[in-house]
Amino acid sequence: MLKKLYLVFGGGVLMFYAASSLMGWEIANSGSRSRMGVPFFYTGFRGGK
Amino acid sequence: MSQSPLRVGLKGVWREVRFELTGRTQNRHQLGGTWDEWYATFSNGWVGWLAEAQGRFYLTFHQPLPADATLPAFASLQLGETVSAIPNDTPLMVYERGTAEAVAAEGEIPYELRPGEKFDYADFSGKGGSFATIDYGEEPPWVFVGRQVSLAEIGLADARAAERESSRVTTAALGCPNCAGPLSLVAPDKTERVTCPNCDSLLDVIQGNLSYLKALAPSDAPEFTLSIGNEGTFADGTKYKIIGAISRSVTIEGIKYYWHEYLLYNAPIGFRWLVHSDNHWNFVEPINAAEVASSNNIAAGTSAIYNGKPFKIFQDAAATVEYVKGEFYWRVEQGETVRATDYVAAPLMLSQESSANEINWSLGRYLTNAEVEEAFGITDLAKPWDVAPNQPFTGGFYYTWGLLPLAGLFLVALLMVPLAGSSAIVHRESITLVPPAAGGASVVFSKPFELKGNRNVEITASAPVSNSGADLDIDLVNDQSQEIESVNIPVSYYQGVENGESWSEGSPTNSASMSSLPAGKYTLRLEGSLDNIAQPLPVEVKVEQGVVRGINFLCAFLILAIVPILGLIRKISFESSRWKNSMFSSSGGDDDE
Repeated sequence: MLKKLYLVFGGGVLMFYAASSLMGWEIANSGSRSRMGVPFFYTGFRGGK
Repeated sequence: MSQSPLRVGLKGVWREVRFELTGRTQNRHQLGGTWDEWYATFSNGWVGWLAEAQGRFYLTFHQPLPADATLPAFASLQLGETVSAIPNDTPLMVYERGTAEAVAAEGEIPYELRPGEKFDYADFSGKGGSFATIDYGEEPPWVFVGRQVSLAEIGLADARAAERESSRVTTAALGCPNCAGPLSLVAPDKTERVTCPNCDSLLDVIQGNLSYLKALAPSDAPEFTLSIGNEGTFADGTKYKIIGAISRSVTIEGIKYYWHEYLLYNAPIGFRWLVHSDNHWNFVEPINAAEVASSNNIAAGTSAIYNGKPFKIFQDAAATVEYVKGEFYWRVEQGETVRATDYVAAPLMLSQESSANEINWSLGRYLTNAEVEEAFGITDLAKPWDVAPNQPFTGGFYYTWGLLPLAGLFLVALLMVPLAGSSAIVHRESITLVPPAAGGASVVFSKPFELKGNRNVEITASAPVSNSGADLDIDLVNDQSQEIESVNIPVSYYQGVENGESWSEGSPTNSASMSSLPAGKYTLRLEGSLDNIAQPLPVEVKVEQGVVRGINFLCAFLILAIVPILGLIRKISFESSRWKNSMFSSSGGDDDE
């Protein structure tokens, strides 16, 4: 049972990875003094100045 | 009374030649135990002997030796030695030598048997079931060569079926000569020694009669998990009855380690063993010594090969019988010691037990508690507390098939390269930042540019800085919604010489990236804090989309690698626990299921 669960989990990670690649979702790196840029998913701008 | 499936008058076929069993002799081993030899007369004039011992059958024929062949003297025979003087397709190895005593005969045999007459003999085995025996009672010795056969092979399969019927009535009821209490023998024609269940006396069985040998000290009695008389049906559907139990020990570095062995009996099949050690269980059956290739020099790294499979040396020690209970096919005794050498290839264990006159090999298969519970219809067997020498590791899936998602990740990553598109520069512009002290504006805007959806965004800033720097706060402004995404890109470069060594830090080029944004027209808003800059600073700004950064791949890789790595750590720990109990722990490795 655990083995099946692990394979299902692994398949889920692969699907998520493929979807991220197609949608351009990415963990951002916005510099050494980063304010982290946008999160992984676009959920709206965090506002400006 | 006999449980033998054979009888005088039975007719069979061997290599398309009919034969009849016309006579029988019975001989006794010097350590107890009897075996039958049936005289087989063939329709073409051949005569042979069908030997029957512990449920196994050997058909042999007298083999005259070439005039120049010389057999080794009985006294010089070494166990494990190959004797090339015996003509046979495969080399034959001595696995037993001893002195036997003629007991009785019936029917027609080609010589006059004198009960009590003793003779020396040696038994040999070879690959493929080859078998030979030398009768040193004759001068020159007589050689008989043949092979181990099944009853079906010699046209006597029906004899076995008949025997099954008769086995139901072969239990012998006897009285203990010490306490007069009743006891019964399950295998009366094979049993040599039995303990009285009433007074714990050890009794000899001689031709169906019991004689008192000694009393077993009650304090010696260990607690056996299974009882004499219990019946168990194993995975292959064969039912065995426990007829004896032994407690044995080895002493290593002054410490005694005990285990229990149960003698299993099934009339047509013979004897097997169920070994119980540290709450681990093994089903053990005898194998042909000639099928095992092993070295006499035992050291770390030594291995034995059986059926093409290598087994690693695990233990080599003197095993001593501590206590016996039930009935046995040899004259077992407390204190009886043999050299026991174990080799492992989980879930199998290859064991050699050697004494002065005999070498026996057996193959043990690890049984889980659940298998033993199912076989005997019991529950709640005590759980093992350590790893057994041949216990299979059951978590191999997680670092074998568990690597499948990781392999899938590489495949998906390759597929995504063309699907996700290549990187493209969507905007490049040189923007000049002027220090406020020089009258410049603190904020500068770029020209508008288009961003596509579903692509990540990377902004790179480069400036000709030297021992100076600019901390750039860059806002990405959506011209339609006026919403802003901010990043910080420091561009600085400092260098110098200190204590004769040059140093540098920072970089004139730096970048920041962000996840995909909604498609549309955007403008960059730059605000820079300049350090050690008095002149206008030209900043080259580049905006790219679809940049391959690998961060997603890395994260997925780490997530998917956790379970295989943990599985591998568990496996290493398991093997370490297995081999820490070995006398040859340096040969530890990755036995696997």
